[in-house]
Amino acid sequence: MFPLPVLRAGPHAAYPMNPFAALREQLLDAAGAFAEGPDGLSGILAGMVDDVDRALHEELEIFPVCHHSPSSALAMARRLREKRPKVVYLELCEDLGPLLGELRNCRLPVALQAFATELDGFPAEWAPLSVIAPVTEASAEYQAIAYALETPGVELVPVDRSSDHVFQWQPRRRGEEAPESDVPGTPRASGASATSEEEAALHGDSVGVELGDLRPRFAELERYLLHHGKVRHWSEWWDQYVEQPLSGADYDTYRQVMVMVGSLFRRLRRDGDEGRDEERERHMWTRMREHLAASGTDPSDCLYVCGAFHAASRVEQFGLAATASHEIEPRTKTRWQYGLIPSSHSAIEAQFGLAPGSVSIAAATWSKALKHTGVKPFRLKNHKSARGRAGQEALDVSVPPVSTPQHRGPALPEETHRQAGQTAAAPPANGPHEGPVKTGRAAPGTEAQVGADERVRPSALPESVDDRLSGFLAEPPAQNVLDEGELLGWCVDIVRLARRNGYQASTADAIAVFETSVLLANMRNRRRPTPYDFQDAAVTCIEKDTVPGRRDVARLCEILLGGDRIGQVGYESLPPLARDVLDRLEPLGLNLQARTIQRALMDLKTRPELAPCSDLLWILHRLLPKGTVRPIMGSRELGERSIQESWDLALGRDQRALVELGYEGVTVEQVLEQRLRRAVRHPQATASTALAAVEDAIRFLPGRRLPDELGVRAVELLAAERDVDDAPEVLRRIRRLLTHHRAAEPALPRWCEEFVTTGYAHYCTLLPTAFTDDAGGVRQVAAMLGFLFGMEGLALSLGCDHTQLELAVRQSHPESPAKVALLWAARSRLGLLPQDELRALCDGLLDNPFSIEAFPHYLNGFIHALDPVPTLTPFVVELLSKAFGRLPDAVLLPWLPKLITTLRAGSGGLLPTLVREADRTFPAALPALDAWTPPWERRRPARREPRAPATPAAALLSAHPAPCDAIAALLGHDPVWQTPAPSPAGGPEEVTALLARHPETAAAIAALGK
Amino acid sequence: MSDLLRAPAEVKYAEELDWLESADDGHRPFSWRLSPRMIRTFVLGSERSDGLEREIPQKWFGDRSIVERAIVTLASDRGLLLIGDPGTGKSWLAELLSAAICRNSTLVVQGTAGTTEDHIKYSWNVSMVIAKGQSRESLIPSPIMTAMERGVVGRFEELTRSTSDVQDALISILSEKYVSIPELSDGNGDNIVFAKPGFSVIATANSRDRGVNDLSSALKRRFNFVRIPMVASKNSEAEIVRFRTTELLRRHQIELDVPPTLLDVLLQSFADLRAAAASASSDDERLESSLSTAEQIGVLEDAILHSQFFGDRALRAETLAGSMVGSLARRSPEDLAILNKFWHGVVEPRSKQDEDGPWKGFLEGGREAIAKLS
Repeated sequence: MFPLPVLRAGPHAAYPMNPFAALREQLLDAAGAFAEGPDGLSGILAGMVDDVDRALHEELEIFPVCHHSPSSALAMARRLREKRPKVVYLELCEDLGPLLGELRNCRLPVALQAFATELDGFPAEWAPLSVIAPVTEASAEYQAIAYALETPGVELVPVDRSSDHVFQWQPRRRGEEAPESDVPGTPRASGASATSEEEAALHGDSVGVELGDLRPRFAELERYLLHHGKVRHWSEWWDQYVEQPLSGADYDTYRQVMVMVGSLFRRLRRDGDEGRDEERERHMWTRMREHLAASGTDPSDCLYVCGAFHAASRVEQFGLAATASHEIEPRTKTRWQYGLIPSSHSAIEAQFGLAPGSVSIAAATWSKALKHTGVKPFRLKNHKSARGRAGQEALDVSVPPVSTPQHRGPALPEETHRQAGQTAAAPPANGPHEGPVKTGRAAPGTEAQVGADERVRPSALPESVDDRLSGFLAEPPAQNVLDEGELLGWCVDIVRLARRNGYQASTADAIAVFETSVLLANMRNRRRPTPYDFQDAAVTCIEKDTVPGRRDVARLCEILLGGDRIGQVGYESLPPLARDVLDRLEPLGLNLQARTIQRALMDLKTRPELAPCSDLLWILHRLLPKGTVRPIMGSRELGERSIQESWDLALGRDQRALVELGYEGVTVEQVLEQRLRRAVRHPQATASTALAAVEDAIRFLPGRRLPDELGVRAVELLAAERDVDDAPEVLRRIRRLLTHHRAAEPALPRWCEEFVTTGYAHYCTLLPTAFTDDAGGVRQVAAMLGFLFGMEGLALSLGCDHTQLELAVRQSHPESPAKVALLWAARSRLGLLPQDELRALCDGLLDNPFSIEAFPHYLNGFIHALDPVPTLTPFVVELLSKAFGRLPDAVLLPWLPKLITTLRAGSGGLLPTLVREADRTFPAALPALDAWTPPWERRRPARREPRAPATPAAALLSAHPAPCDAIAALLGHDPVWQTPAPSPAGGPEEVTALLARHPETAAAIAALGK
Repeated sequence: MSDLLRAPAEVKYAEELDWLESADDGHRPFSWRLSPRMIRTFVLGSERSDGLEREIPQKWFGDRSIVERAIVTLASDRGLLLIGDPGTGKSWLAELLSAAICRNSTLVVQGTAGTTEDHIKYSWNVSMVIAKGQSRESLIPSPIMTAMERGVVGRFEELTRSTSDVQDALISILSEKYVSIPELSDGNGDNIVFAKPGFSVIATANSRDRGVNDLSSALKRRFNFVRIPMVASKNSEAEIVRFRTTELLRRHQIELDVPPTLLDVLLQSFADLRAAAASASSDDERLESSLSTAEQIGVLEDAILHSQFFGDRALRAETLAGSMVGSLARRSPEDLAILNKFWHGVVEPRSKQDEDGPWKGFLEGGREAIAKLS
């Protein structure tokens, strides 16, 4: 016997009869033959064997898994039935554990979510923090979860770092983008179609964590493997080189190969890249040791389910025999909330950079494998169905393939059914809490308990390990034979699907796809076309130059081979707010959990009981993202209530939004109130945002308390403002609010009055600065003037002083033409500038060749002045008319776009006012234009002397002028007498004509006098 | 060294093809000279894992699955239509495939507006017809007909440039696989030419010509479409440019080094211009050029030739910039405005960051060229 060449003292030294010694030696020889230096390759190859050796000899059974791997799930189902562990340790954030029970109420895939908005210990700009862990049915972890939760006496212990640590260990600099995925080196899948993008957005911008991440740790290695494996995607590589060869493998081979692959990727990575992974491993082993010590469980009754990558760990805490301690950092004080959100295959693919369709294909492979192998998977039973169908299921259960003769572990759920005749009810979810998830212990005396107590404890050392790696590595994998029926089915179905999506595909295409799939598979060294070969073939044969519908052939293939499955969180697992919403919307009689858009039609007049639904929908419309709750008919402005409303509701489709809303409060009203309060207390809040909040409070919430509170804050914010940027918005909103209160309530709220008086004083103070300040625009100054002139009546009645405004106007000395025009308008409004003078000023501008170019700017100012000084409208029409008539084209034409944009910006009232005035001013028909003279150019009639009215008094004075002459002489005037206007003989013409036509009345009156 | 200006692929790689044929033990469909896997190796180059005794260089750069799909299509009943933007290597791939499959890539019909049905089927030697009457002797077969007779691959370049009636002449050839010659009597079977096994058609179409002469649905059904995308990876593109430029230099017998930094400048500039074109909202804001890899090779070749014959036999950034402006400025003022903006907004900041690098010279050369053309 020659001594084994030892490069590094590996753990194999601990096992004298090392089963892997031969393989190790063989690999070292190979390394020596192929590598130039002694270290690199031999270290990696021998290290791989050492890692396998170490993991398999570990006292605590390690079950290595890979995410979305049907063979992992199959091996897990088989192993759980065989071993029946009492404790399952799971690589999952430890704080997400309490949520697992809620999976019963959901249709998978769903994602466990930890969510935090109020951060303490993290930079505020990171908010909101969100961690999600998606769970699919075709996964090993789901098998473990279902087994643990459905089997009495089994404990499930998530041991990975908490969600808080996910962010603690994710150092980010200020201003950096939020991390997309926890998986390094995983680019987002490209080429996703528009439809799938929408579905892929289900997770939002959460950080994803998943069990069993197994992928090359740097891009070059992955590229190299793909290149030499002659495949395009990582999922395809995995399927061809690991998944398929392992699908029928026994448990030992499975474990050894998975640990070896994990070890390979672990060893082939950049230096300094292992920090986070190792930190997690230390955490997991520490937690497991703590749990074992606390519970006193025999390690041989436990199973540690982790990614194959972590199974090949080399941290000093690895193994139960290790003594190295590890201190787990405390969590921050951030308050985390927990819940479930719906997920989908495409969302998972997008989150973790998997090939489009790979999760769907894995799900399809899993179903097929179950059928072929006859393995009975573990499934979580829904609360309702478990209660209702327990008896029925007890009869349906087939005998599980238990290979161990001795009944070692806890009774499986099926057995419990058989014996007890009922399922073990899972404990109701009491909301998230720390610690392991314990399923209901079997009652003392049941077989489960007896089995657990009486079973023979095996030795602490693991069972003997045979080398299965050598065989696996030496032999080519058994090739799957062509499943003609399956492929034909795919070909026929894809053609059918393509036709339905607008392609002109025919049976000839089905034949071509079949032929091409087989040829492609042969070319790629496979006897059986994989779904990827089939997809390529279908694209080659059916896809032409354009895509006729929404989906291309590649996407159709994905749909065909499994389809995107979208999960749903069951009612029972929704947060209280979401349940409350669904309950309150129940009178609508719609299936709001459906993924399709539901149309709600409400005639509030005939069915007033729906009014609360309408109120709720308006609040949801305000709170949820756009499109989730969409009004089609009806509106709710201030003081408005529609008689009929119709809504498009997508609450089932956008469940995540509703769930995340549930993290903010218990009812939507509370959430809205909180958000409004937060909005007005925000450091960036302005008076206009506060007024908007007041409006929202009035529109959506009952009662005066909140609007008044927000209004008071609006007054504070207005008084504290140092600029007038928001003046137009403030004016618009306060006007609307005043109108509403005047119409709806007997008196104005106190805060409204304060707002007007404060605003009057505030804007008066700021007016001179705003006129001269370049930063403040014309719109802002116009809005200030609008406030001052428009609210003046109210402000003066509340004790403000008009002279304050006059003084402010007098102190204003603007320089820019537009603001000068505004000032003129203001002075004209205050009576400080008569209109004739104003006209003369403007005509002067037009006559002056130096100022003519600036005329449009003046005009711009006047147009803005229409709102604060509406009496100027005829004058502005006059100016516009003059501008069009007299401005040279070089000045006029460049200004026109600006004129249009100005008029459009003030779309509320400017344009109709101007048009109305122009209609009054200009002739209505073209022929009249020739003879038309603008009113401002008509000769003014000479001032008419006041004429003495033709009254009896005048006639009397005229008949006796002496007293008047005397008084005039006394006052120093020279009396001049007018000839009194002749008194109409019979009164106005109309009256005379009327009397002439109907003389009877007059004759009758005359007859009275007689 | 061949004395042809541009030898077809089967001549250029004759020795390599011979060797591959001798080493090929795979199944060969019809009368193919190589098995599908070996054709893939010929086109995409060999890996060590292929276990070949000699290294086969890569000749076409692109996605492996594209080549596989193309080869598999040719082994099936349908024609192959390579569709893509100009300069993406469609014709080169077609040539390589033809050369590998049947050692003949010259049976080509060039689709133009003037292509007639005769170019696809057959025409007559008029003087011989006058002298001897219509017979198989006086018939001039088209390249496609010759390919049918020999059981090899015929090529149709720019299919969508020819008119619809001409395109539709291909329908019967691709479905029935024979051409009838009604002018000849059917006495001795001379009036029908049947295709031999191994006959197939590789057509190319420019996706920018869409809408000019759209293919009929019947013809589309008889072709498998393989879309050749624009090269997205900078590394692959560098590889292609290097490969083609070396070939060109060899052809022109020029000894000149292309500094890697200049190659980077070229690739980066094209990448930037493509990004700008992708975000442009109208055609006026987009260069008329498709900015393909072939354009890059064209620019580099132009710069090399310029340096060789009018410069100091060393490639300089100024010359490269001049060639780039010259090649890309096709419309005045639109293209010039875009280039001017590019030089001002992108090249100038780069030259400030990298004062000693080639960007400075590139900036000056480009400015000068734009000024001359403006």
